[in-house]
Amino acid sequence: MAAALRPDIVPLLGGVGLILCIATAAGSVLASGVSKGDKAFGEYLSSACVSCHQASGKASGGIPPIIAWPEEQFVAVMNSYRLKERDNPVMQTIAGALNDEELAALAAYFGALALQPDVK
Amino acid sequence: MTTNRRNFLIGGSTMLGAGILGAPAVIGQAKPRVVVIGGGPGGATAAKYIAKDSNGAIEVTLVEPKAQFTTCFHSNLYLGGVKTFEEITHSYDKLASGYGVKLARQMASAIDRDKKQVVLADGSRLSYDRLVVSPGIELKYDSVPGWGKAHEEKMPHAWTAGPQTQLLRRQLEAVPDGGVIVMVAPPNPYRCPPGPYERVSMMAYALKKAGKTKSKIFIIDPKETFSKQGLFQQGWERHYPGMVEWLGPKVHDGLKSVDPATMTVTTGFETYKNCALVNVIPAQSAGKIALDAALNNASGFCPINAENMQSTVDPGIYVLGDASIAGDMPKSGFSANSQAKVAAMMIRGELTGSRTFPARYTNTCWSLIADDDTVKVGGVYEPKPDKITASSTFVSKTDETADIRKATQAENVGWYSGIIADMLT
Repeated sequence: MAAALRPDIVPLLGGVGLILCIATAAGSVLASGVSKGDKAFGEYLSSACVSCHQASGKASGGIPPIIAWPEEQFVAVMNSYRLKERDNPVMQTIAGALNDEELAALAAYFGALALQPDVK
Repeated sequence: MTTNRRNFLIGGSTMLGAGILGAPAVIGQAKPRVVVIGGGPGGATAAKYIAKDSNGAIEVTLVEPKAQFTTCFHSNLYLGGVKTFEEITHSYDKLASGYGVKLARQMASAIDRDKKQVVLADGSRLSYDRLVVSPGIELKYDSVPGWGKAHEEKMPHAWTAGPQTQLLRRQLEAVPDGGVIVMVAPPNPYRCPPGPYERVSMMAYALKKAGKTKSKIFIIDPKETFSKQGLFQQGWERHYPGMVEWLGPKVHDGLKSVDPATMTVTTGFETYKNCALVNVIPAQSAGKIALDAALNNASGFCPINAENMQSTVDPGIYVLGDASIAGDMPKSGFSANSQAKVAAMMIRGELTGSRTFPARYTNTCWSLIADDDTVKVGGVYEPKPDKITASSTFVSKTDETADIRKATQAENVGWYSGIIADMLT
């Protein structure tokens, strides 16, 4: 999934995300330039994701894991769906409904998750 | 703890009278209590999320008589022989072991709204501060002339998953080559809008696989149009030519009656005699317990506040899934799962003061037409003053490439594992 990301659009989208992030003051911007979203908000928003993408990080069928990604990459991939650069209509619809603050929150939440063992 | 409190309350109702029990929630004195009626995608998800996210600060009891949950979603894949019954049947045990949800393995027989208690089948009562009602559907056995509960073995509905689904599969396997199958499709609104048509696809799939391509499936539909119609009809022509015929109300002029004794279905124009299989999917309402508690309106379903899934009839109650009137959202397992997470967040906020966020909802429904030929429909939804409203939707296109359809089936398989993990593990 991550490997399939088109390298040509990553820098562009990353740049757009950062500019919008500063412009809207959505979350604080660290010195490194990495946006940090609201994890609690991201956890709530993630409820839409984890009906398919397992919060444990387990992959199944055609649904890839989305935890522990670098935040910039998460935002870039979602932006590529938002701009319909990537094809899947489910993801285009989900991403299209999210603004920059929300994407940053999701990226922060999922980015901090580690692979979980099964519940016993 | 639950048992002690319940015993106290039952004793209290005898000794102390209803006044004390009718008092508001005992926040500050004990853990707030949430009771969830129904262990489907709505109820199980709500129970898990309230227990998980409150870290034990809320006592959650799930009332569900069945020890295991057989999913309606993918039950058509079982019918077609694509999945086993075991693959669509799951345990509730991890809700208890993983999150501390108390499992009350009984039928909920009534809701005592005045006392804020749920009455269980054995007569015991569970007090609640908030109640989640997610009972699914009730079949209207009087909606198809000539058919009723006494005939559900002869002409199965299989619209609640379990023994009926297994019965329908046995009947399908017994259909001879050249046998006639009639599906009586339901009127709106009903559980799983694409479900009847995915079912027909899977029936035709199983017949074709068994070499019974002279068999024919007639769909007698009270609706002028149906979900993913162009996609299904193109798929039937492509994979099952001559085996499926859909008849809308202008064509069949109304279903007049069915006769289970002679396996006959009579419409305004035709009589189908000696059918090998008749699948009657009747009209539906919210589950009986919701109707008995008067949570419904004239439609037979339960109005809710679009911002939080709270009943507009009783603010102490949240109604989820098929039983609710969820605006533009279809009655699907995915919808119920999505609504449950909104309600869980709101209930936690009310009982513990935790942060809440504006509601948002999602749904996707995948339907398998043939091997690696799957289509989907879905959307994202937001609360508006009058109803939950679609803000963006999508549907598969006719004439998509085989690669897209195959990838869509891979999503369908992955989604199933995902939603089961989200609900039950």
